[in-house]
Amino acid sequence: MSIFGSNEKKEETNATFLFDTEKDTINQSNLAKDIKIHGSLEAKDYIEFSGNINGTIKSSTVNIRQTGFVKGTVSGDSVTIEGEIDGDIQAKDLYIKSNAKIKGTIRYTNIDIQNGSIINADLFYSS
Amino acid sequence: MLGLIMDEENSDSISQDLDNDSKMVLVGSGVRIEGRIDGAESTDVSGSLSGTLKSSRISINSSGSFNGDMNGQDVVISGNVEGEITSEDTIIVNQSAKIKGTIEYSSIQVSYGAKLEGSLRHRGSIQNYSTVNSVSDEKTEDVENNTDEEDNQ
Repeated sequence: MSIFGSNEKKEETNATFLFDTEKDTINQSNLAKDIKIHGSLEAKDYIEFSGNINGTIKSSTVNIRQTGFVKGTVSGDSVTIEGEIDGDIQAKDLYIKSNAKIKGTIRYTNIDIQNGSIINADLFYSS
Repeated sequence: MLGLIMDEENSDSISQDLDNDSKMVLVGSGVRIEGRIDGAESTDVSGSLSGTLKSSRISINSSGSFNGDMNGQDVVISGNVEGEITSEDTIIVNQSAKIKGTIEYSSIQVSYGAKLEGSLRHRGSIQNYSTVNSVSDEKTEDVENNTDEEDNQ
């Protein structure tokens, strides 16, 4: 498990992160809330994101936590949104939690929306 | 098989428990209604209803379908809907629901498995949306003006 976002790392980073996908263990990436990224973030298994990204997040499982903000694209097999998204979401299983704020486009196969979320989006279903 | 619009006196044999002030609309399974319904308190659709519907509570059951514009406070969708849904309070979309069109809502809950196509609009945010649109309109006008100026030069 790799952890980004220590207090010293407050500057914006301009980079593409590619996580090691060869290990047997589940690769879990947890990005804390003070991190800011311009670029794309990709992992094989799991990304938990609490920071601020202008770009793309892609992983098998993506969890955008309550403090997380994404301007751009989030895609994955299973995507959970608790934070704010301005852009596109692509997911087979999409879970939108009660604190979520979403603006943009949603492409999904299965969707679950909790009471309280604020969504202004175009929805596209694909089997 | 029921197809009732209950407002006036009606037969006790079908539903004795509904009083005449219940302002209830029941569209039974297999029944088709087309037209405009207004002033209803509660509308329960297991058949097919197309047109315009205004009712405080609306329930489209899993065997039911609706085509057109509906406006309600509490809306529950378990069947097929094509058109525009406006819910002033809460909309609940159940697993068996299939919706194509626009949903304008204050509070929405969607169960895993429901199929929604179209757009979702949060009522609280609509004000912001129109501002955004008007700003972009102004921008477009500016661009047009600029091109005019360029043409003149």
